[in-house]
Amino acid sequence: MQLPAREGLQRTVALAMGLLLSLFVQSVPAADDPQETVIEEAPITSGDRDHWAFQPLGRPDVPAVDDNGWATNPIDHFILASLKSAGLSPMPPADRRTLIRRVTFDLTGLPPTPKEIDQFLSDSADDAYEQLVNRLLASPAYGERWAQHWLDLARFAETDGFEHDKVRPNAWRYRDWVIDALNRDLPYDQFVRLQIAGDEIAPDDPDAWIATGFLLCGPDMPDINSQIERRDTFLNDMTGTVGAIFLGLQVGCAKCHAHKYDPISQHDFYRLRAFFDPLELFKDRPLSSMTEPADAQDAQKSTAKDLPQGRVARDAPGEPPKSFLHIRGDFQRPGPEVVPAFLRVVNADGQTVEPHPNRVNSSGRRTALADWLTRPDHPLATRVIVNRIWQHHFAHGLVRTPSDFGIMGEPPTHAELLDWLASEFPKMGWSLKRLHRLMVTSSTYRQASHPDESSREIWRRSIAEDPENQLLSRMNRRRLSGEAIRDAMLAASGELNRTQGGPGVRPPLPEELLTTLLKNQWPVTPDADEHRRRSIYLFVRRNLRYPIFEVFDRPDTNQSCPRRDESTIAPQALTLLNSKFSLTEAKYLASRVAKKAGSSPSEQVTACYRRVLGRLPNDVELAASMQFLEADAEKLRQESRNAATRSDGRQPPDNSDRFKTDALTDFCLVMFNLNEFVYVD
Amino acid sequence: MPPQPVQFSAVPGRTHFPSGTTRRDFLLRAGGGLGALALASLLDGQNLLNPCRASDATETHTSAALKPHFRPRARRVIYLFMHGGPSHIDLFDPKPDLSKYAGQPLPESFGKVQTRRNVAANPLLAPLKPFRPRGDSGVEISEFLPHIARCADEICVLRGCHGDSVNHPQSVYQMNTGSILMGRPSLGSWVSYGLGTENRNMPAFVVLPDPGGGVKGGPPAWGNGYLPASYQGTTMRPGKNPILNLRPQPEISPQQQVRALDLLRTLNRHHLQQRDFDGQLAARVESYELAYRMQATAPELVDIGRETAETLQLYGIGEKETNEFGVRCLLARRMVEAGVRFVQLYSGDTNGWDAHNNVEKNHGTYCRRTDKPVAGLLTDLRRRGLLDDTLVIWGGEFGRMPMSEQGTGRDHNPWGYSVWLAGGGVRGGMTYGRTDAIGLRAVENKVHIHDLHATILHLLGMDHELLTYFHNGRDERLTDVAGRVVKEILA
Repeated sequence: MQLPAREGLQRTVALAMGLLLSLFVQSVPAADDPQETVIEEAPITSGDRDHWAFQPLGRPDVPAVDDNGWATNPIDHFILASLKSAGLSPMPPADRRTLIRRVTFDLTGLPPTPKEIDQFLSDSADDAYEQLVNRLLASPAYGERWAQHWLDLARFAETDGFEHDKVRPNAWRYRDWVIDALNRDLPYDQFVRLQIAGDEIAPDDPDAWIATGFLLCGPDMPDINSQIERRDTFLNDMTGTVGAIFLGLQVGCAKCHAHKYDPISQHDFYRLRAFFDPLELFKDRPLSSMTEPADAQDAQKSTAKDLPQGRVARDAPGEPPKSFLHIRGDFQRPGPEVVPAFLRVVNADGQTVEPHPNRVNSSGRRTALADWLTRPDHPLATRVIVNRIWQHHFAHGLVRTPSDFGIMGEPPTHAELLDWLASEFPKMGWSLKRLHRLMVTSSTYRQASHPDESSREIWRRSIAEDPENQLLSRMNRRRLSGEAIRDAMLAASGELNRTQGGPGVRPPLPEELLTTLLKNQWPVTPDADEHRRRSIYLFVRRNLRYPIFEVFDRPDTNQSCPRRDESTIAPQALTLLNSKFSLTEAKYLASRVAKKAGSSPSEQVTACYRRVLGRLPNDVELAASMQFLEADAEKLRQESRNAATRSDGRQPPDNSDRFKTDALTDFCLVMFNLNEFVYVD
Repeated sequence: MPPQPVQFSAVPGRTHFPSGTTRRDFLLRAGGGLGALALASLLDGQNLLNPCRASDATETHTSAALKPHFRPRARRVIYLFMHGGPSHIDLFDPKPDLSKYAGQPLPESFGKVQTRRNVAANPLLAPLKPFRPRGDSGVEISEFLPHIARCADEICVLRGCHGDSVNHPQSVYQMNTGSILMGRPSLGSWVSYGLGTENRNMPAFVVLPDPGGGVKGGPPAWGNGYLPASYQGTTMRPGKNPILNLRPQPEISPQQQVRALDLLRTLNRHHLQQRDFDGQLAARVESYELAYRMQATAPELVDIGRETAETLQLYGIGEKETNEFGVRCLLARRMVEAGVRFVQLYSGDTNGWDAHNNVEKNHGTYCRRTDKPVAGLLTDLRRRGLLDDTLVIWGGEFGRMPMSEQGTGRDHNPWGYSVWLAGGGVRGGMTYGRTDAIGLRAVENKVHIHDLHATILHLLGMDHELLTYFHNGRDERLTDVAGRVVKEILA
């Protein structure tokens, strides 16, 4: 473990304190002690607020560095300053072909088409790259890509989980809302406000209520005997998830006892939960009007029947219920009463929760929370979101524990850059697209991820001095997600169905997976064209991850996932090599290539390279590939003849075209299995 | 030897390339899961298999991942999961008083009982079949299970087990993961994480589901939760395609695949050369070699063609009712023999042992299907010398109520039930713990699921308080903040 000494020490101390605390907790109050009703709340000390993440947001000056014209924008000044102080230089820029593949996958989750590549390579305008970025950000594929990052955080699924894993027939509307919000560049503060309190903020806008589906994404156990327990579990999960996503703190740890390491009391947890306590849960609603009182809505049932339904949040009518701390997290043991309040450690000026009297039929509590979470000077919320965006572009966040900015999290590698971005973002009108643009047009982002002859020395030093690439002395190579791999195969084969939105699609599943489900849990979508939609539109069943996504590290949907693993395991090889999907797409690709390139093997190989890897083969590759096509076709012919001879003694007609087609299919299958296909330089 | 804390790099992104670490990292991850494939032959020449001799392996990480905290009694586990909830009071926990008071309501002295289907006021139902003392030890087992009864001296019945939920999925999750919520790592994943695998050609954690249908709660029951994906249970089944996508599609011949793999290797190496031999990319090249070898290894393992007729008979293979479970029990033996660390078998389709309306019929069926195969497994393990260091676990997600449901059925009972253990350092021929006079609640020497898990880890040489994984700001454990090792049952 390589930690800066100070933070390492802090962590050690925290660990030791945690250990002491756990000993204390284990030895003092007996688990069933009925007397245990007084729960002390430790005050926040100034020492608590010394932790970097709780410090007020700074506005650091952009460092002046002698950059020799390297820097494109302020990001580069920060990066270069720290590289220089470590005696390092950035890698030279990646070539244009690498760059377009990198930025296209990054922003849209799809490969660039051969035509797009040609256009970019031949575009001599100074701002050709900026124009490319603009075009990608304007593409609907952008929202389809970036929505998945958000849905990983929201632990989005279209079923309840647990025994019946019941379908949530309207959950997809929230997924579509996220895609659409990103595509129209809804300012991030609005994006947050609507997901937490869309029903209160825009009571006449059904679209805004759908956003509140965010709060209702978690797993649910409708069948449990105790409906109180069901609700309690759901609300706790909601509270912890909101804390992790927006505050970057593991607030959920404080459900049963004060947080072991961070200054978050059990009171803090239940105060945060109190914002959600008035919610009426577990009921889809007609998307009519939130300004109608709830009972009037029910009375309208006959007319409401025809309206689309939505999985949306809404407070129960009447006075909000009282909220209590639960002793040891046990809902059957209410402790002291609590009222909604903001997390003390990041509420140094003691802002109180103001009721919103103008909210119709709602407590207005969630609006107050949403307002607080979108304060432009919020020390956590702002840092957390710019760090998440950074992570997706650069492989790691400036803080490498994106949902834990607490004592146990990693300190930022570039604290000043983080603050600069966090303070700049609200000034950019909270525009995520502007933030993306700033990051991907930086020279930092455009660096090469591997050396060529001229950069070998820079590379050697980068690897030696910055092995973890904490200083970004080079670009990180990335493995595609399972979704991007599937989409890229469909795109390369020409079979991708670009229809947008709508209920989740269920392509056929292998029989052996169906038997691990209950009966009829995976009715295949009848229209086979639908099976080739983008991965974001595939049905998300909580109890079964879609196989290709699962092997490529898609998280399960039970807990918020801030960053996916990038594992390398043999089942990935088995999937890409042997699955029916791979072979089918290889066949489509082969037949497309044969149609376009004709029967010339070298043209075929070239066309495959262009479609799958976005480049031309070099001489070595071309020779090996052509040799393969010829030898494979010949062997297939021999094998077919041998097999036929064995079975009925007669020679089959020598249909060499068929063997050439099969050999081309084999070649296409190899292309989908290449490292170069699955990794982005 | 004092227990040593297990240190793992748990924060995503902390390990990074492109030095040799990547390759190691891959090997370690691979060791835990399906990716384990065929490393042995691959690595023989490189000394990487033996961490002590490894020239460049990180000692701490590698050895900690594979070395237990103290001397293990069991090296591997076979977990026979009776899905649906078998009735302890009809199988392993004799209750003469229940016969005496049959037909009467639950005496008031028992207080309020939480049940799934409101059966608290229903008349008591007598045990359906007589119990008898068995073997030298005299452990009492019901006539539902004549074959297992003959192994009474091997087994240790924990009669005071209890859990926290009257619902199926919550209880299935809890029995597997310690938590009634979904999405936590399962016992098998924790064990793979803590101990790795002995056979690097195979996954450390294999699940053999019931072909009749899924468990209530689904595959998350053997999921890796927040542990890395390579620790999840790999489902396998008998036959030619034991693992999903193990084989090429039928129209692709083996020779054809070999040719494709040759080209793939050539092109990938060319690419690798241009990328400064990046470890991450190299690991992926190797994963194809491993996958290829696995195609040979896994089918061999599930091929029972070379077992003797006598062995097949022992498991009830070839007999209509016992064939299916018998084959899976035999596969379990073959797998632990080959060094798979943790094998879990499910008996029972989606409803399984969930005898809400006719215990005699339901349990009659499931006992006939499993009794002989389970006894055969114990016998076979014993005579091969495997039982000494293989822990066999038998149990469901809960037991059943002494009150009747719909006349002859019984509702779920998580408040008191039996689980039995055999082999692997457990004292055979004993019972431990007690439920009350009618089997409603555990009352003496109670064993909560956390305690059961702590005991299982202990037998495997791991301290349940030290086997941790740092996740979302917390050192997570299988046993949460509880768990007591039931030392009284150790041999």
